Amino acid sequence: MAAITRGAYARPGTSLAFKTGTWRVEIPYHKHWAAPCHAACPAGEDQQAWLAKIQEGKLHEAWNELVTANPMPAITGRVCPHPCEQACNRGIYDAPIAIHNIERFLGDEAIRLGWNYPLLRPTTPESPAVAVVGAGPSGLSAAYHLVRRGFRVNLFDALPEAGGLLRSAIPMTRLPREVLDSEIQRIFSLDGLRFHPRHRLGRDVSLSELQSDHAAVFMGPGAERSKAWDVDGAVPADLHQGLHLIKEWVDHGEIPTPKSVAIHGGGNTAVDLARIMKRRGVEEVYVITASGLPGPGTAPDDVLNVVPRELEEALEEGVVFFPHRTIQRLIMRGSKMIGVEMVHLKKLPGKGGRKSRVSFQGTERVLNVDMVIPSIGEAVDSAGFENLIGNANYFRPDDWGRLAEHPGVFVGGDARGDRGTVSAAIGDGCKAAMAIQAHVEQTEVIDAPRETVGYESLNVNYFEPKPRAYVAKIPVPERDDFTEIEQDMIYAQVVEEAGRCMSCGNCLACDNCWTFCPDNAVIKTRDVCSDGSHYLFDYEFCKGCGLCATECPCGFILMRPQD
Amino acid sequence: MAPNASKIERLKELRDKHGRTDGSVLPDPADPPKDLRQAQPRFRGLEAGHRACQGCGEALAARLVTEAAGPDVMISNATGCLEVFTTPWPQSAWRVPWIHSLFENAAAVASGMEAALKAQGKSTKVLAFGGDGGTFDIGFQALSGMLEREHNVLYVCFDNEAYMNTGIQRSGSTPHAARTTTSPPGKARMGKRHLKKDLLSIISAHHIPYGASTSVAYPADIRRKVRRAMEIQGPTFLLVHSPCPLGWGHDGALTIEIARLAVQSGLFPLVEMERGEVTDVMPIRKPVPVANYLKAQQRFRHLFAPDDPRALQEREHLQALADYNIEIYGLYSEEADPLDTDGADTVRRGGLAN
Repeated sequence: MAAITRGAYARPGTSLAFKTGTWRVEIPYHKHWAAPCHAACPAGEDQQAWLAKIQEGKLHEAWNELVTANPMPAITGRVCPHPCEQACNRGIYDAPIAIHNIERFLGDEAIRLGWNYPLLRPTTPESPAVAVVGAGPSGLSAAYHLVRRGFRVNLFDALPEAGGLLRSAIPMTRLPREVLDSEIQRIFSLDGLRFHPRHRLGRDVSLSELQSDHAAVFMGPGAERSKAWDVDGAVPADLHQGLHLIKEWVDHGEIPTPKSVAIHGGGNTAVDLARIMKRRGVEEVYVITASGLPGPGTAPDDVLNVVPRELEEALEEGVVFFPHRTIQRLIMRGSKMIGVEMVHLKKLPGKGGRKSRVSFQGTERVLNVDMVIPSIGEAVDSAGFENLIGNANYFRPDDWGRLAEHPGVFVGGDARGDRGTVSAAIGDGCKAAMAIQAHVEQTEVIDAPRETVGYESLNVNYFEPKPRAYVAKIPVPERDDFTEIEQDMIYAQVVEEAGRCMSCGNCLACDNCWTFCPDNAVIKTRDVCSDGSHYLFDYEFCKGCGLCATECPCGFILMRPQD
Repeated sequence: MAPNASKIERLKELRDKHGRTDGSVLPDPADPPKDLRQAQPRFRGLEAGHRACQGCGEALAARLVTEAAGPDVMISNATGCLEVFTTPWPQSAWRVPWIHSLFENAAAVASGMEAALKAQGKSTKVLAFGGDGGTFDIGFQALSGMLEREHNVLYVCFDNEAYMNTGIQRSGSTPHAARTTTSPPGKARMGKRHLKKDLLSIISAHHIPYGASTSVAYPADIRRKVRRAMEIQGPTFLLVHSPCPLGWGHDGALTIEIARLAVQSGLFPLVEMERGEVTDVMPIRKPVPVANYLKAQQRFRHLFAPDDPRALQEREHLQALADYNIEIYGLYSEEADPLDTDGADTVRRGGLAN
């Protein structure tokens, strides 16, 4: 109790004896949300977290944060369709952050400077061993995340080199092989990982052997068997599958060059193939797809599943798309193909709400082409593990990659059938590693996703419009089969671009709450508080006015009723 | 002694007195300070525990002004909310020498304090604080005298546009058409009949070296203007727009939001005047309709009465007043300025961007 003074004076700062916190009916608190980029990332990266590190000028720490989820950022920065950018809140404000370009820059910096992975636990000769089948994106990711958690890993692949689809089917114009080799090499230099090339399951090693020698088995065999394709039972005499042609081209540099070609399918393989053929001098290249092109009239789940940049480049190069269409008849003269008959169709919900393809009579059109190439997807080639999958095209594991009827076996990547991107395969590897750890340690695997923060939670008064960084591309006439088309960002651009991140749902350390509290009830600290910010609420004095929550640019401060 | 050297010496004296360091030696991370409040990297001239309402704009403005003015000041405070809520005897929220005498004489008391300090050869700056009642109306002649006699005092008026302390009576600062308890809207009038007094022009007509208006929505602007005024030997004046959640009828959480709309609409222009001339303004990037500002407050609710033709007329009147401000001060500029109404509060990781 303050002393009553003689005369009408008071000692300085004595109001601190009066705790205005008792007035409060609502209480502010910090909420560590998931930024939309993080929520959208199939690999589980927290882009907001590593962009924040770049904002602090700590590139190496940013990369360390990035590789807690994704060991191959230089690769995904190039090949991922970056759903993070489509989800980015900044897209509503002006233009999304160029996340994939920054990721690629970080990945390249790590290669250039030889950064090593930060591991959680060292591996010892006594550590439990796990077998990983398939050294594609999911297998490499699983191996990395297992070693990171202190497991020994034996990684098997049928081919002499690791990389899977990354090596066999992604054009060099999107993924230079030096980048691929560097990132794989960094994974292979991890202690506790052994790579066994030229080991095909069922031929050089059996599944039961692997199961008896290892605590768990991860299957990342990919999808290699092209699905059967015909049009009403008719098939051209010289049928080649799209993926097969790309593999041939990557290996030998050879590709058929008819005068005109129709490619049937709407994935990256179809578009890659179209561009390769166009560059090799095929005059007319058409892509016929049941999906739509991105645009205001197209539902997000109906858009072509292609990296947006690749689609843009394909259009620049003169590839012609026929969206919302299918081939309903092959037109032959003798055994020679002279054209296809297309018809409009859409994927529409039918009885029970399940979508099916409905074609529209009266929209048929003939397209004269010399060749038709199906590129409608691939299924798992089950040789060597028939007992795991039976006659199905794909595995059907749970979200952690666990197979209900085969405990100890985990699956990820394209073999699941519901993934379809490198990033998703990398995410599968990480999830499976967590599930394998839980399986070995006989615990429950914990998944605690954070709630995603929406644009309406931000206070954008505190941000300024700023154009997205410009990244150069090689002009169409100068494009060849080997030179990467999209160019690098420079360091200054990376810093500028990361500075555009609005830190959705996480503390920006902007001082707004500290500055605007009329009651001096926000305390700034030099240390990072347990909730990731630099600010504490002094609940002894906070009156609960909610100014801090309104003026927080990031939605990081919320109010709830005082109990 | 050069004035700067004496300032440095005085600061050292104050630091020694309060056991503070000059910040050149960082605290040992192994031995963090026990009381984080004591370790705040800013001057806490106005401490917590004061009795202002939730979301009080005036408490925030006074805190920001005192913070920027620094420790070597003395304050003379007119009667009003600020005086009442900061000093419920025997406690005080102030950590600088502070005196309250009457409603009308804050400027006169400050004049005497300044003269006494001058006689003693001390450089401590005298501040005078008052609300709009104590400045626009009751204390106006004392203020005019202080300016005319060229006392070295910074007078800060916390403008919440009515007598809030006594129960929301209209003042010379209350905007046109606002409801107060003495200007209730009804059959005869739509709130206050008269206009807001253009005090800054009157003050400026005293030919003082510096007078400016600023707003709680732009703390960086407050800081800059306080520091500018502190450097000047002679009478200076600041008008700080500070919303009153109780008197204006809005949620305490929206204080900044509303203050910002007042500036962005042009109704409360942020200008700087030197020797009677406008020398700088905060440009408006994209003028916000005045209605956005009005509809957020209960004191203008009658201006949105659906079947009263006077409502729209008065709304248009206020819009015309804002347009007039924009026109005479040249507030609107085609090009974005990093320090305009949209840019001045931009933040980045680690604080303000500009």
